[in-house]
Amino acid sequence: MVKKPVKVKDELMEHDFDGIQELDNELPPWWLWLFYITIFWGLGYLVYYHVLQVGDSSKEQYLKEMALAAEMQRQTPGGGMAGAAIAGQEGEAAEVAALKDEQSLAQGKEIYQKNCTPCHAPDGGGTVGPNLTDEYWIHGARTGDVVNTIVNGVPVKGMISWAPILKPDEILQVASYVISLRGTTPASPKAPEGQKVDYSGIN
Amino acid sequence: MQQLETFSYDNRIVRDFAVATVFWGIIGMLVGLVAAIQLFHPHLNLGIAFTTFSRIRPVHTNAVIFAFVGNGIFLGLYYSLQRLCKARMFSDALSKIHFWGWQLIILLAAVTLLLGYTTSKEYAELEWPLDVLIAVVWVIFGVNMIGTIMKRRERHLYVAIWFYIATFFTVAMLHIVNSIEIPVALFKSYPIYAGVQDALVQWWYGHNAVAFFLTTPYLGLMYYFLPKAADRPVYSYRLSIVHFWSLIFLYIWAGPHHLLYTSLPDWAQSLGTVFSVMLIAPSWGGMLNGLLTLRGAWDKVRQDPILKFMVVAVTAYGMATFEGPMLSVKSINALSHFTDWTIAHVHVGALGWNGFLTFGILYWLIPRLYNTKLYSVKMANFHFWVGMLGIIFYAVPLYWAGVTQGLMWKQFTGTGYLQYPLFLDTVTQIIPMYMLRAIGGTLYLVSAIVGAYVLVKTAKSGSLAAEEKAQAPTLAVQKEEHHVKNVYGHRWLESRPVQFFVLTVIAVAIGGIVEFVPTFLIKSNIPTIASVKPYTPLELHGRDLYVANGCNTCHSQMIRPFRSETERYGEYSKAGEFVYDHPFLWGSKRIGPDLHRLGGKYPDAWHYNHMLEPASTSPGSIMPPYPWLFTQALDTAATAAKIRAMRTLGVPYPEGYEKFANKDVLTQAQQIAANLKSANLAASEDKEIIALIAYLQRLGMDIKGEKTAAVK
Repeated sequence: MVKKPVKVKDELMEHDFDGIQELDNELPPWWLWLFYITIFWGLGYLVYYHVLQVGDSSKEQYLKEMALAAEMQRQTPGGGMAGAAIAGQEGEAAEVAALKDEQSLAQGKEIYQKNCTPCHAPDGGGTVGPNLTDEYWIHGARTGDVVNTIVNGVPVKGMISWAPILKPDEILQVASYVISLRGTTPASPKAPEGQKVDYSGIN
Repeated sequence: MQQLETFSYDNRIVRDFAVATVFWGIIGMLVGLVAAIQLFHPHLNLGIAFTTFSRIRPVHTNAVIFAFVGNGIFLGLYYSLQRLCKARMFSDALSKIHFWGWQLIILLAAVTLLLGYTTSKEYAELEWPLDVLIAVVWVIFGVNMIGTIMKRRERHLYVAIWFYIATFFTVAMLHIVNSIEIPVALFKSYPIYAGVQDALVQWWYGHNAVAFFLTTPYLGLMYYFLPKAADRPVYSYRLSIVHFWSLIFLYIWAGPHHLLYTSLPDWAQSLGTVFSVMLIAPSWGGMLNGLLTLRGAWDKVRQDPILKFMVVAVTAYGMATFEGPMLSVKSINALSHFTDWTIAHVHVGALGWNGFLTFGILYWLIPRLYNTKLYSVKMANFHFWVGMLGIIFYAVPLYWAGVTQGLMWKQFTGTGYLQYPLFLDTVTQIIPMYMLRAIGGTLYLVSAIVGAYVLVKTAKSGSLAAEEKAQAPTLAVQKEEHHVKNVYGHRWLESRPVQFFVLTVIAVAIGGIVEFVPTFLIKSNIPTIASVKPYTPLELHGRDLYVANGCNTCHSQMIRPFRSETERYGEYSKAGEFVYDHPFLWGSKRIGPDLHRLGGKYPDAWHYNHMLEPASTSPGSIMPPYPWLFTQALDTAATAAKIRAMRTLGVPYPEGYEKFANKDVLTQAQQIAANLKSANLAASEDKEIIALIAYLQRLGMDIKGEKTAAVK
């Protein structure tokens, strides 16, 4: 490409406006090229996505992203999209045992304080949701039942599914913490709801 | 020998607009600062509806745009237009009506917005009586300007006037088209557009309010005041021509870049992207003509605070107009949209470009209006440096906050879970940045107050030259200057205002027409969904309360098709879900989480507790309580009018339904009250909170459970 010398001749136009003069300089070449390139890019963009339709639409991009994530999770042991892994274990729920070690319970407590207190109160006495410290359970008292309730939620009553938010080990930790609250005395316990449960002989 | 006419320029009107500019500027910034502090100290609203963030944020944006910059436009335009036309303003009476009309609009705007009378559409929040008033006052301004141009004593129109002309015609078009609405009460209306169409029209307006209210008139001011202050000729006349026409033609198309990855059809989104990128050069044309005009005057910049303000203004303009197109690229927008990145971006424009150019002009102009010298160059320099520091402390933390939060929203763990599933965690992370931003805002406000002091002192040290004598030959005796170079044939056009107006209108109309017509007429752009039904009357009331309380200020209702959003919020939003939404409520900023699939996620009692004290259900939340919803009774007298208006707009409520709609209101309200009672919450069914809960529980329910079909 032959380079034209930039013409900055600073020649004044013959006219002035309220004393303001204008120079008759050429358009700066780099500026003009910038303009041409963006126009060219714009045309190319429209052709690529909408005329030839080579580029993915927003929806296609999304489906590919989801497919890729699903594939990655199949290959990651212990991985699960939206809690699918733990939800899939529902049948074996009866076999799950509560964790008793201090570290797990401490972690469970932290998760509880952050997520559960609005409905079940900081001490488990219940507000919107039921009292967790008494012997009455609506959806089962076994560790597996508690895990299931957390995983699936109780949408009718307004409890959300926590599977997309908590990881499987976190769900077990918080369920174990909830079970550890049994027999404690909350400040303002909610009236019992559900079935009375005899704790002896269950997980 | 040419006959000289003697006349005088009206400087009083310029002075009046200057006073209004400074006054409203400080008010607007102060409201902005209060809003900024509420983001980390929500209780600063003192528990009052009128001072809550979601009500004062629109007051801040409207005050800065229409009161500060608006009066700034008129101040500079009334001064320069008279001199560039060598004529007094067309009518002193119209000048006065324009001035007082505009101030009245501002005052009414502030009052009505604080009272919760809002359309929810950004920068077009004012309700229909004010929309009418704005249109009338704007036309009065236009008549005054065109009249002046017509009786000018200068054959050719200078580039500044081209920009003024584009401003007048385009803003009129934008305002009228975006404000077509059906009144249901004195301060309540519904826009005729729904959902996707409403979004498209609104952001065609919103984007071009930035273009034709904050940009083109200020470019006009730059073309007059910068060469004046620098005493240098404008760098390139040809550049003026090319960048003017390309700028006004291309700008109009770029609105959809506010709607990338939304339910707007992909082709319209792509137009937004490519036209934004094509705007880089035309925008930079203005910056170049400003900065290159200063060649040979840079020694003056070092000493003169006026030129310092102007240089930073033009540089900020160049930065913002490069960043804007970058943010319009979909992959960048995916990260930046809904975050504070956008807020940082607009403030580089508002504080740097508009703010600093306004102050530069005022420092140049006030001593001239008052035949005196600037009261203190030292203090003006202080204003400049503290203002600069303010901009930096404002923008840098918000860029940081925007990128941080955007990344946190998208972060997955190695095992496929959202790293930060609680939205609140991404908010508490950036609170320190909000605090720094408030410091930046404070610095800028303090610097502006110092500036106001200097200007008042300057004015006091002189006396207003209200009538400035001038002489010029009449146009009739001026010959067409055939010896003048007719670059691109443009000299010809410059001496024919009517042709100039017509070409301008054509240039700014095309983009909108090409985007609107297919979106409104071609059905495949908004595929209908059979399960989407109109709102119940109680939900409709709740929706109006959502608007009146400005919930859309902090919450979006638009889930974008990203895994990080569908995992967090649920299935992404579909165009067909919004067909009964007059207005659309997609929002533009997520200070809180998206609400489009909120319905059914929490029990009624949760919402009740949350609205009464957000921290009770979400510890650490920065949302303020809304206690007034619990004491104010729902206005069911308005039900019939609302149903009728919606039916006129095409929402299929059966004929005559309005007569017994309030029965349905009562039934649904009683159900919600009963739900609350079962959770030991004593709520009476006639309160506003019940309607709001009804609406929140409806959100996204029409297609709940549906998933995107696999791609063919």
